[in-house]
Amino acid sequence: MSSRIAILAAFLAVAVAIAIAARPHDPTAGERVDRITAELRCPVCQGLSVKDSGSETARQMRDLVAQRVAEGRSDSEILAEFRTSYGDWILLSPPLSSWSLLIWLVPVAALAAGLWIARSRIRGGAVLAPPPSPSELASLRERVAAEEAAEG
Amino acid sequence: MSAGDLGAGALRAALFLALWGTGAAVYAAWRRDARALSSARVSAAVAFALVVVAALSMMFALATHDFSILYVAENNARETPLLYSLAGLWAALEGSILLWTAILAGATAFVAIRGTAVLPRLGTTALAVLFAMLSFFLLLVTTPAADPFVRLALAPDNGNGPNPLLQNHPLMALHPPLLYLGYVLAAVPFAYAIASLILGEGGDRWLVATRHFALVSWALLGVGIVAGAWWSYAVLGWGGYWAWDPVENAAIMPWLTATAYLHSVMVEEKRRLLRTWNISLVVATFALTILGTFLTRSGVVNSVHSFTQSAIGPLLLGYLTAILVLSVGLLLWRSPQLRDAGPVGAPLSREAIFLFQNVVFMAATLTVLLGTLYPLVAEAISGAQLSIGGPYFDRVEIPLALALLFLMGIGPQLPWHGASRATLERQFTAPAVAAAVGAVAALLTGTTAVAAVLTYALAAFVVATVVQEFARGARARRALHGETGMTAFANLFRRNGRRYGGYVVHLGIVLVALAVATSQARTVDAERTLAPGETLAVAGYEVRLEGVRSVVEPQRDSVVADLVISGNGASDRLHPALVAYPNSPAAVGAPGIGAGLRDDLYTILAAYDQRSLSWATIRIRVIPLVSWLWLGGLVIGLGAVIAALPAPRRRPARMPVIEAPAPAD
Repeated sequence: MSSRIAILAAFLAVAVAIAIAARPHDPTAGERVDRITAELRCPVCQGLSVKDSGSETARQMRDLVAQRVAEGRSDSEILAEFRTSYGDWILLSPPLSSWSLLIWLVPVAALAAGLWIARSRIRGGAVLAPPPSPSELASLRERVAAEEAAEG
Repeated sequence: MSAGDLGAGALRAALFLALWGTGAAVYAAWRRDARALSSARVSAAVAFALVVVAALSMMFALATHDFSILYVAENNARETPLLYSLAGLWAALEGSILLWTAILAGATAFVAIRGTAVLPRLGTTALAVLFAMLSFFLLLVTTPAADPFVRLALAPDNGNGPNPLLQNHPLMALHPPLLYLGYVLAAVPFAYAIASLILGEGGDRWLVATRHFALVSWALLGVGIVAGAWWSYAVLGWGGYWAWDPVENAAIMPWLTATAYLHSVMVEEKRRLLRTWNISLVVATFALTILGTFLTRSGVVNSVHSFTQSAIGPLLLGYLTAILVLSVGLLLWRSPQLRDAGPVGAPLSREAIFLFQNVVFMAATLTVLLGTLYPLVAEAISGAQLSIGGPYFDRVEIPLALALLFLMGIGPQLPWHGASRATLERQFTAPAVAAAVGAVAALLTGTTAVAAVLTYALAAFVVATVVQEFARGARARRALHGETGMTAFANLFRRNGRRYGGYVVHLGIVLVALAVATSQARTVDAERTLAPGETLAVAGYEVRLEGVRSVVEPQRDSVVADLVISGNGASDRLHPALVAYPNSPAAVGAPGIGAGLRDDLYTILAAYDQRSLSWATIRIRVIPLVSWLWLGGLVIGLGAVIAALPAPRRRPARMPVIEAPAPAD
């Protein structure tokens, strides 16, 4: 009983910690610039984001984002501005539109289908069978010994 | 005779032997013919020796700058230091395929000598499969597709030199061979699985025979991936170690399926279940190694690693298709013999957790595959250009990785067949409390990202379960054998290395998870243009620019910024540089890294005064816990070694059965 309480209390503590971490707070301008530039592809690099790249182009784009943030534009407005000038290609995480929806749906669908198949292979119902008879116990002993030897 | 002639001749002779060996092994397996088998065995050994001679002659040609060979002229220069000359063997397409072929020839020879002796029929059939694959690769390196020994009519005075990024760090000598060993050794379990299907063996002999190959291949891939991450961290100069670049994705995919296999294989060994699934995982792992080579070596995907375009693309694609058609066809043909005897155990049994774990691994692999291929497919179909990069993969893979961490804590605590409620409560009290401590510790150390807090909680959870397992194991040894303390502990590794080595691997994964979560959530950036004597303060560190100087070496010219670091108890000098190689128009950055257990100070020379070296723009990233990632890779490798070491033989012990599991049927 006491261990059940300990487990529940521990779960609660983790949940509270996550709630504290997830509580909404106003991001600073710097945090917003980081968040936005992490989504933008550096046009002159090999798949790096504007946030991570040290290139001159990326630096100019970071400055532009910082300027837009200072002007009071929202994140989505700023991203839309880049999307208009460069196309969808500039976004490192494809927008939820038309065909690109597929790449968001497939992982979720694969996980759901996999879990469903796994579920169908798993025996439901009773957790434990009745205790084994003495003869079963003897054969089990033998199997444990054999498997132990095989495992070694 | 020059090294080039020797190598080219050796490869042609090896091709002849491989074709001969394929026929001999097929005949030996079919008619159980001892003379054909010994002929195949000799062919395998000699072919291996010949390919090694070819690889060594290429290394000799590189080290002696023999520019009459095209490959040497393109990837070497007189000024190239010896280490990078030798590493030139895997610096470009043709040499890499040669290295690949050499490793495959070694695996073929091993199976020919050891494998056919242990399990004659199965081993000989597997040998035939390996010979056929070896023939394909030898065909590549003896035809224009990837011939490394193509000659130039007129040898130039000097060569191009290696790609600048490949002569900038000694890890280049380590990371590609490790990955290639991992890739190629995956061919052995595949060959045995195919052989078992061809022969119609219902049992799991193929799986037991290749257990070590699967483990070693997986471990080398894993350590190779971490070494690659370290290389890109130390060389690419942006302060990250993983960019979801196609070549990284190509390496992680077979590692994911191989990890799934190493776990689900236990379900087959213990419960004779999941036979079709395990063969499918081995096929998938092997096919993904070929797909990875195709993606990174054919120039299909634009990546730092696709140096060349070549006719090898269609050939590899054809090879991949043949492998998939053959495997799927055999699986369908033999599926009646592979049907499982019964259902997997209860939802809270170890085998069920392995099943869930496999599902998550499959979703993770599929996501990487889709994200890597989708831009290519979209562009081919509609011409639309789009990017799939870090933010997409992070959004999908981080939740999956957290689920895997959770299952990694649960699985080892559950008995086979199912657990009672009392067992569950007993097993999970301490780990649950540890998880709570981990979550609170994350908040107290200023980690506020949700994924990072969860990672800390789950990391503590897993560590607690591993400690609990070791304590239980040591207690059991004390009770049964009267061993105490360190002896009991050491004997856990010695007697049951597979299990306890596995737990050590889990601890390595925890280190990697903590490193990734913390470095992602808490890296601090700063950038400033400094004159000599000026300082930049960031995250408690003070960075002072002492001066900027230029350094001339035979193979390259560099501009170096000398930085003095103080604060946070550190006192260090770092020298980030911009390095210009004669064969590259753009200078490459060489970061100055002050590594520490708590955080790394990663400094980059972003720009400098080209006229009088009177100022420099310094970019600094303070990256916490990133060195734990390399430590984690080391621990994973250590755990794999413990798991792979053979246990001493012993008498079967009489064990008291404490919690009786349900009978199998």
